[in-house]
Amino acid sequence: MGLLDGQVACVTGGTRGIGRAIAEAFVREGAKVVINGRSPEKGAQALVEMNAGDAVHFSAGDVTSREVCEALIDETVARYGRLDILVANAGGAPDAAPVASMTDEAMSFAMTWCFWHTFWTMRAAINVMTPQGSGRIMAISSVEGKIGKPAISHYVAAKHAINGLVKTAAKEVGTLGITVNALCPGAIETDVMKADGPGAAEAMGMTYQGLLDLFAAESAIKRLNEVDDVANVAVLLASPAGAGITGSLISIDGGTSPY
Amino acid sequence: MGTLDGKVACITGGTRSIGRAMAEAFLAEGARVVVNGRDAAKGAVAVAEMNAGDKVAFFAGDASKQSTVEGLIDFTIGHFGQLDICCLNSGGVAMTAPVAQMTDEEWQLEVDWNLNHVFWGMRRALQHMIPRESGRIIVTSSVEGKLGKPGIPGYVATKHAVNGLVKAAAQEVGTLGITVNAILPGIIETDIVRSTGPDSAVAMGLAGYDELIGLFTAESAIKRPNRVEEVAAVAVLLASDAARNMTGCLFPVDGGTMPY
Repeated sequence: MGLLDGQVACVTGGTRGIGRAIAEAFVREGAKVVINGRSPEKGAQALVEMNAGDAVHFSAGDVTSREVCEALIDETVARYGRLDILVANAGGAPDAAPVASMTDEAMSFAMTWCFWHTFWTMRAAINVMTPQGSGRIMAISSVEGKIGKPAISHYVAAKHAINGLVKTAAKEVGTLGITVNALCPGAIETDVMKADGPGAAEAMGMTYQGLLDLFAAESAIKRLNEVDDVANVAVLLASPAGAGITGSLISIDGGTSPY
Repeated sequence: MGTLDGKVACITGGTRSIGRAMAEAFLAEGARVVVNGRDAAKGAVAVAEMNAGDKVAFFAGDASKQSTVEGLIDFTIGHFGQLDICCLNSGGVAMTAPVAQMTDEEWQLEVDWNLNHVFWGMRRALQHMIPRESGRIIVTSSVEGKLGKPGIPGYVATKHAVNGLVKAAAQEVGTLGITVNAILPGIIETDIVRSTGPDSAVAMGLAGYDELIGLFTAESAIKRPNRVEEVAAVAVLLASDAARNMTGCLFPVDGGTMPY
């Protein structure tokens, strides 16, 4: 008996990192999960590693496209018959630079990948969940959804925007059995961090290791967070006990955020 | 196999409502628990109802008294040999009056019950946990730890203060395997709220208790009170190894009431 028996979840950016940990935690609790990712090869590898048979399905696609986001929700419903839990997890922000030299392209890409993908999947999910009279929507935000950091204004702005979206949507669907929350992790050394981190560090005038050290130093625990930290909270929010928690921006950051 | 097997918890205000739900959830996950309350008779009833044999014990005393809070910590360590999870949960609206009419004595009651009790318990618990480099402190704060409401300034101010205490302590012990977090429930129809709610309603200029509950739920997104089980589930998570990297967190369980 799992906490999520019979539930169906969809996780964007679910083949690796935080999304993968959430998908695995949901499967352990009895849910069926559709994981999305850009690369069919990485998707196939994730399915093999997760070894969960029919309980996991991979859907290839780049969530910076609205069509992909909407098709992903449709595919989840077609595959498993319903959608109980959406985790809008994908996101990142390459090409870091101070605002004075940030390009339109870098800002737009981060906003699309982080914010617009969250909006597109959330909108589609609410339209599925409303007639069901139940649902859980989680956006993977960030400690940067609450505080600023130099040279990553695109990431900071996109994550703040997600938090505002979450708070508003929570008010709209609060009486419909649907909760909408943001999880705000501290720095975790995921594949996306490994890809974007060195550029961000350079724009901040430090080494990649220096950036990781800075994140750790800003926390109370003086170390980075781990993907399972986020997955454990996601399970709670998805479970029946999460019914009374909505519009929350939950810090999972080792004591970094001031609020 | 529970997520809290082998752990020992103590809970101020643990015989009823939120604290009781925490105690039952901890027991279900394998912990041993000492619950505290003012009334020995209610304590005996609670222990009987929880039906957990020697895994649960009761410690009588008023949580607004330093001797009770420190006594609870010491009793727990003496009784079960250790303290892993300290839940500082007792508290409430001791006095309802606008700031302009609040007396010093009434103010002191609020400060002792909601703030000093948390400080006394946290300090004593940390002195035990720091050498062991392991522990969880979970404070029951409130949505009023982030928002203001007329007529209950003592409650609002002390819950804000508790949140500050949690954040400061979390920074102090963050590398010692000890986490310090607050849970911020929205309105829950606990026994305390049922008993103090009518007076609070009057102080807030409302017609009665139903209007008070209505005001709180209207401010939420879910338009209903929260439930003690929702708070207890978060407490279990924070108490477990799964939350070892969550600290200094003000965890809302308020149905979408708080603005931040």
